[in-house]
Order: sequence, then C-alpha cells, then structure tokens
Amino acid sequence: MTPDSFPRPEEQQSETLHEEAVPVNSVDPADERAEVDPSLFEEESGEPPFARAVRTTPLHLETAAESRTNLWTAWNGYTVPQIFTDLGDEYRALRGAAALMDLSPLVKYRISGRDALAYLERLCAVPVGSLEVDRLRHVIFCEGSGMVLGDGLLFRLAADDYRLVTEETHLAWLIDSAEGFRVRVEDVSATLAVLALQGPLSAFLLAELGCDDIETLDPFAARWISIGGMPVYASRSGATGDLGYELWCDAEDAPHVWRTLLGKGATFGLRPAGFALRELARLEAGHPRAGVDYLSAFAAIDPADALPPAAIWPGFTIAPSKGLFNGGSALRAMHGTEPARRLVRLAVGGLEPARFASVSLNGEPAGLATTTGFSPALGANIALAVLANGAVGAAGLSVLAERREGLSVVETRLPAQVLLGPAFSHRRRLAVPAGLRP
Amino acid sequence: MVIGAGLNGLVAAAYLARAGLDVLVLDRASAPGGIAMPHEIAPGFLLPRYMLGSGGLPPRIAADLDLARHGLRFIRAEGSVTCFPDGAYVASYRDGVIHRRELARHSRRDADAWTRYRRDMLRAARGLAPLLSRAASAPSGGILARLRARLALADRLAEAPPAELASMLGLWTLPLSDYLDDYFEAPAIKAHLAAAALMGGTLGPSSPMSASRLIWPWLSEAGDATGGAPDTLMPQGGSVALLHALTAAVQASGGKIRLDAEVTDVLIKDRKVRGVELANGETIGAGVVLSGLDVKRSFLSLFRWKDLPQGLVERVGRVRMKGVAAKVNIALDAMPEFPGLPEGCPSLGGGLRLAGTIPAMDRAFTDWRERMPPRDPVIDVLIPSIADPSLAPAGKHVLSAVVQFVPGELHDGAWTGERRDALRDLVTARLAEVSPGIETRMLACEVLLPGDIENEMGLTGGDFAYGETTLDQFFVNRPFPGQGGASTPLRNFYLCSPSAHPGPFVMGAPGANAAAEVLAARKGRA
Repeated sequence: MTPDSFPRPEEQQSETLHEEAVPVNSVDPADERAEVDPSLFEEESGEPPFARAVRTTPLHLETAAESRTNLWTAWNGYTVPQIFTDLGDEYRALRGAAALMDLSPLVKYRISGRDALAYLERLCAVPVGSLEVDRLRHVIFCEGSGMVLGDGLLFRLAADDYRLVTEETHLAWLIDSAEGFRVRVEDVSATLAVLALQGPLSAFLLAELGCDDIETLDPFAARWISIGGMPVYASRSGATGDLGYELWCDAEDAPHVWRTLLGKGATFGLRPAGFALRELARLEAGHPRAGVDYLSAFAAIDPADALPPAAIWPGFTIAPSKGLFNGGSALRAMHGTEPARRLVRLAVGGLEPARFASVSLNGEPAGLATTTGFSPALGANIALAVLANGAVGAAGLSVLAERREGLSVVETRLPAQVLLGPAFSHRRRLAVPAGLRP
Repeated sequence: MVIGAGLNGLVAAAYLARAGLDVLVLDRASAPGGIAMPHEIAPGFLLPRYMLGSGGLPPRIAADLDLARHGLRFIRAEGSVTCFPDGAYVASYRDGVIHRRELARHSRRDADAWTRYRRDMLRAARGLAPLLSRAASAPSGGILARLRARLALADRLAEAPPAELASMLGLWTLPLSDYLDDYFEAPAIKAHLAAAALMGGTLGPSSPMSASRLIWPWLSEAGDATGGAPDTLMPQGGSVALLHALTAAVQASGGKIRLDAEVTDVLIKDRKVRGVELANGETIGAGVVLSGLDVKRSFLSLFRWKDLPQGLVERVGRVRMKGVAAKVNIALDAMPEFPGLPEGCPSLGGGLRLAGTIPAMDRAFTDWRERMPPRDPVIDVLIPSIADPSLAPAGKHVLSAVVQFVPGELHDGAWTGERRDALRDLVTARLAEVSPGIETRMLACEVLLPGDIENEMGLTGGDFAYGETTLDQFFVNRPFPGQGGASTPLRNFYLCSPSAHPGPFVMGAPGANAAAEVLAARKGRA
C-alpha cells in the first residue's frame, strides 16, 4: 500500500479510534476528540456473525409486505427486494410517475472534526473545498498509485461535519489516510435509512406531503424536511437520470416515512421498486457501480483490473485548484497517457433482451460487458463494458449473445457501438425550479 | 520402485503406473500410510496417528489419478477458530460478508482491511502456484534451457512495478508480525492469522521470513472480489479413505504394493541405482528407485556412504530437520462443549486453535529454541468427527491435536516420563479452559513427542515438514542447495517425499513432481 502518507497503526489508533475518556456530561459536539458512545454506531443484536447470511434493512417489514413476487437479492450483506411486482411496471412508474426504493444497504461514513475539510481535500481526487453546507457532490478517491478505490456522494452537513456515502466499505483506507488530521471517521451505516424517491412526480409528491418550496431545492442540494411528522434530510440526487430525491432518516423513523409516502403517492402512480430497477435505471443513466463495473484497487487481484479515474469517468481531470491529494502525484505523472482499458457505455443491436458478456472487435476479444440490460428508453440492449483502449473508437465491435430455445441455445453475434451519452437523461434532472407538474 | 507407501509415495506410484511403468511400492509397516497412517486409539475411534488430519490433495492430482472413481470425496469445511486465554475468539468464514462481520467484532477498520489482505494473498498465491506444480529446476535440459528459465524469472522480476516488487519482497522476507501490522490493528485478528501460519514451521512470529507462511492456505482458493477466508479441505472418511483411494488407484493401473518389506540398502553400480535389498536379504532389481523417506534417511541410511558422490554426505548432513510439534490423540465419549463460542459455530469443523497473542507465541517459540519444556504452546485441535461422523461411534468424537513448539530434545536431556505427563496435563488443562469438563469425557489419550515420531516412523527429528521450510531450503534449494527437485546426484534415484520441492505445503505434490521428473527423464533418454 502506498498512500501519500503512510500510517503507523498505533498512532492512527490514538488519533481516531481510542480517544482519552472524557466524562460523558462534558460532550462538546464541535470537539472531535470528545467521547462518543460507540453503541450508537453498533449494529444491534448479540447474534453471532454466521447466524444469518444476510441481514434486514430497517424497511424490511414494509418491503416484505409490498413484495408480490417474493424475489430478493443480497446487497452489501443485506437482503432487499429484487422485484416487487414486475420490472416493466416498476420501470413505467419510475419514468412516468415516481418510484420508491430502499437504498439502506449503502455504506455511510460520518467525517467530522476541525480538519475534516483538509482531510477530505487530501482524500478525494476532486475538489471539495467549494462544497457549501447542505450541498453534495460526487467524489472519487484513489490509492497512492492513482488507481481508483471507490466513488461516492459527499454531503456537507455542517461546517466541520461531512457524510460520505459509498457502495463498498472503505473504513481502513479512510482511517489510514486520516493520519495527521484532527478528524473522526465513523461508520454510521446501520443508523441511517435511505429511501430514494425518483421520477417526474417526485417533487409533486413531496409538495403534496406538505414540504413547501421543495421545488426550490437545487440539484445537489439538501435540506431538512418533515414527512409524516418525521424529520428527513432530503437531497436532490439519485442515479436514475431523472428528477429525484434521496431521503435520509433515522432507522426507526424509516418505516413510517415509507408508509406515509406510499399511502399518499399510490393514487398518483407511486410504486415501490426493487434492486433490479435500481440497476436498470443507473445503467440507463450511465453510472458505474463499484465492485461490478470497476474493482477497487484493493480488490483487484490482477493488477491490470485496477483503473485510474479517467478510465472510468471520461470527464475526469485534475482541477487546477487541487493541491496535494492521495494518488495525485501518480495521476499527474499519468497525465496525457491513455489508460490501457476504459469503461464505456455500449448500445447493442437486437430488438429483444439478450444475454452477453464478452465483447469482440472484428472477432478478437476486446473486453467484457460488466452490467447489461434492455433499455426501454432506447429500445435496445445496453451495457457498461470495460474495453481495451484501442477498441473504444473502433468500428466493428460486437457481442456474442446467447438465447435459449427449449433445450437448445442459439448464439448470435450482435453489432455493438459505443454510446457517447447516457441512454437516458432528462433535463428535468437539473431543472430549477423542479417541475411540480410534469 | 517406490520406497515407502506414504501419501507421496502412493501418489508417485499411481502416476508412474498410469504411465505404463511396472511399479512396486515397498513399505516396512503392515499397512500403507506412513505418517498419515490411520490409527484406532480406542475401538471404533479412528484418526491419523501422526498428522492433524485436515488438508486435501490439489484438485489436479485428484483428477489426474481419477481418485473420485476410487471413492474419494473431500469435505470443504469452514476456516477455523482461534480461542484466546481471555475468552475471546476469532473465527474464519468462507462467506465474505460473514467473515467481515466477524472481523468487525474486533475492529471495524480491520474488517475492511481484509479486502486488501485477501488481494495480496491471492496475488502471491497465483504467482507461486506455477512454481509449485513443476520441478524447481530443469532436470535434464541443456545449459541454454536453464539460462532461458533464469532469464524468464529475471524478466518477471524486472517487469513488476516497484510497489509490487516491494510487496513481494516484504512477503518473502518480513517477520509475520510486521507484515500483519501493515494490514490489521486488532491483536486478536493478527494472532488468529499468525497461529494458523506458524503451525508446523520452525519460525516464530517475529522471525524474519515467517510472513511467507501466510500464503499457503490461499493456494487452492479461487478469487472472487468479495470472498472470505479460504476453507479447510478434509477427505471424507479421514485419511483412511484417502489412502484407500490412492492404493486402489495404484493397483487399478497394475501397480503392486508389498507391505512388511523393509528396504535396508539401495544397490548401486557404476554410480547408477540398480535395485534394493530387503531386510530379509532378498534383492529386487529396479530401473528407477523413488524414496518416500526424508532426505537424510534416504541418503544416510539406505546407502553405504562410500558409494555416495564426494561431498553428498556432508551436504545432506547439513540439511536442518528439527522436530517442532508433538501429537496428542484423544477419544471422547461426547461432543465437548465450547461455552465461549456461539452455539453451532460452523468454523469449529475446520479446526480450533488455542493460542495467545503474538508476543505469547513469540515466547513459546523462544522456549522451543532454548529447548525448554513448553509452557504455553500453540495447540491446533481438529475434531474431524464433527464434519465426518463416520470416524467415531455414534455420538462420540475423536480429537486430534498438534502441539506446536515442542522441542525434540530438552536442554537438560531427554524427555522423562514425568515431563511427558506434564505435557499431557498442560494440553488437557488448556483444552479444559475452552471446554470445561472435557477431561471427564476422555476415553483415551496419547502423547507422541518428536522423538517418538522419529523412532516409530523413521522421520528424522520427528520433523513433519521433512526439512525446515525456510527460503534457503526451498525452491531450488530443496532438498538441499544446488539440487532442487526430485532427482538426485545418483542416477535413477529420486526423492518423492516432502523433503523435495515443493515441500509439505501442497499435499501429494512432491510425489506428483517426482513422477513427472522420472517420466521426463525416460522420455529424454528414449
């Protein structure tokens, strides 16, 4: 491991983990060295780790009641509905009205302390200094070698208080990188439930529930609102390429928020949607998922599987204002060189859903489709795929699709082409004010 | 002809018999098995007398020899559990989510650090695997072939980016404790990984190069990005079933196994091995002789020393073989209880280790170096009858334990009866700490010291590793420097025991490599 600052385990412990005991009654929330009751961040239950292969989210009873298919999938050690009713119905609700999803298995870190900003500026490969309170932005963080470890959403909750939301866990790297900063890093995943309310009617539904001026909430901004009497931190964000909100609330409050939203929204076409729709929607919107479309440098057993940020997010450049950051010197040294492989969006011919994985260029292997799906918006199969750099601009890409007919398999070679933009992106997503009437 | 019907001898014999050679396996015992020989400690209680009893053949060997057709099945048990004197425990699980949850009980940071540790272990294991499944140095082949092989290795080293080279060097040179500090902070997690890696070796957690021992469990592991700990392989039916399948495989291809036939001399003529002489005076001619004995016993007791090439006796004499472990076999009339572990912990089937923290293991290692009777050894316990109830009568169990850091000879002389009893009591007391009442459930208990193992099995020093596995006695230096691989300075004489490359870490691989070298040499000559 080669972070720009190499931590010594015993030092970083004293910095971030085991603070000297401070009497509980003298807690000063602004002091990152203050004692915090660790049980606040503990996942309940004395049950042994092997007792259940997957745990349940705070919304489990609600989602189980809504599920008509009883199809579940494991996500980050939690079980979430794969499909509630029918993927097509859920998709039509998302694009035509609104869909409600349980995203609670996302990993959430609280980063606080007087050096939090300096620390995050050092951690992230994108500038975060300009982030105002109650705003969020997409961040990428890299290993010392310049290879991507993960990406996520960074919220500024208060001057010295941030929340980092990621797909995979990164606690070891976050703590190791905190060497020399007065900052606390805590995993608060289990205490926070996340609901995604996405679709053209999402602003309208929140307004109907009494959230005044919700249309004035800018994209990538957040504010406290109240849903059914429960405090909810609402951010205008989401990975569906459309207008949408993500609602962050206490695990105990989440079922009530879910019921309130569905109770009010059902008449307007709001439907609960499962993990399959989340995957399809983010695929249409062109967002890669860590661990699926790219591997964290710490999980890439073959070193060639680790990718620099520009290979995953084509628009990535190092901002001129950016100073020292983890992986910075390696990325600056890489400047101007093309990565060996790139993540691209593919559109694949064929009028019906097809299964495929390997991508070829004129018959030679050129890469792998990491996520595939049939996009109703394009009326075509689409995919995210990691391709050899030389294959990205070339004509003659194809995939080998497999279709079963009875007990025989039909293999067809379907032409593929690299898409320049996402398969679905509506201007509603960034419209200000948000449209209450679609 | 193969001397010794141990695991590797049988593997080599099976390969050679399948290749159409006329194979005869000789063993002085009245049952095949060598140190893996099954042993009935009390009627109906079966366990390997000298080995712990876990571990499986690599799938390649099992497939090559068609062992599944001969009835061999492997059980994939969960990792293992380490119990500490303060009542804490760390378990390993195959499932990545569950394994990280387990590590998070000790440190949330370390649960996440597991990803990077697993990546580095799998990277190292993948780099190592091709080196283990073939001879360490080209047996025949001209000087050009050897030069090419060296250059290929140099190229690979030169092409590695500096960070990778550094991590590789770290793994092959660092003490295990320093290496683990780079990943984990929780002492219990480090001790859990360290205890597993130290078993059977002559290195302590702070000895340089001990980190390389961490790789071995990962060799057979396929790597998906989110996995947990590698699993423990066990032959279903115990080592009996494994030996039975191997014997059947040898015989099915026309090989013969002759028991109660002790080889006393290898006949040599014009520096070529021509056959063997048995204890009863009978001589048997053979074109090729493979020895499943350790390197010292192979050369120093099977030959007249004056027949050996100049310098060989000295070089073989200098190979370090030291006993580090005692074996304890116990029959239990009921399943022992482990109140410190959660009920139904699946990792118990993969083994239980009684260990202290890393400094405590260091002290145990120092005791061994100074040839003190062990005070706080690391104890590796396997209750094979959990995963495989056929090994004991219904409801009863066998417990197999290896006590690590037990010197072969004590600083003040031999092991006395009292000291032997003290060791048994120590092991019983340590077991009773994690399983109160276990002493009342014991039907039989026996302690085998390194000296006993040497006397009974003819394994020099009672060293289960068949020679220390430090880097100076590994790869091209195994069995001894300048003679990597199974072939020896004596024509037609090969080593198929773990004294030869790749040592004790991959079951059956020394036998398979020796057979491959024999066949390659015959092909070269034909």
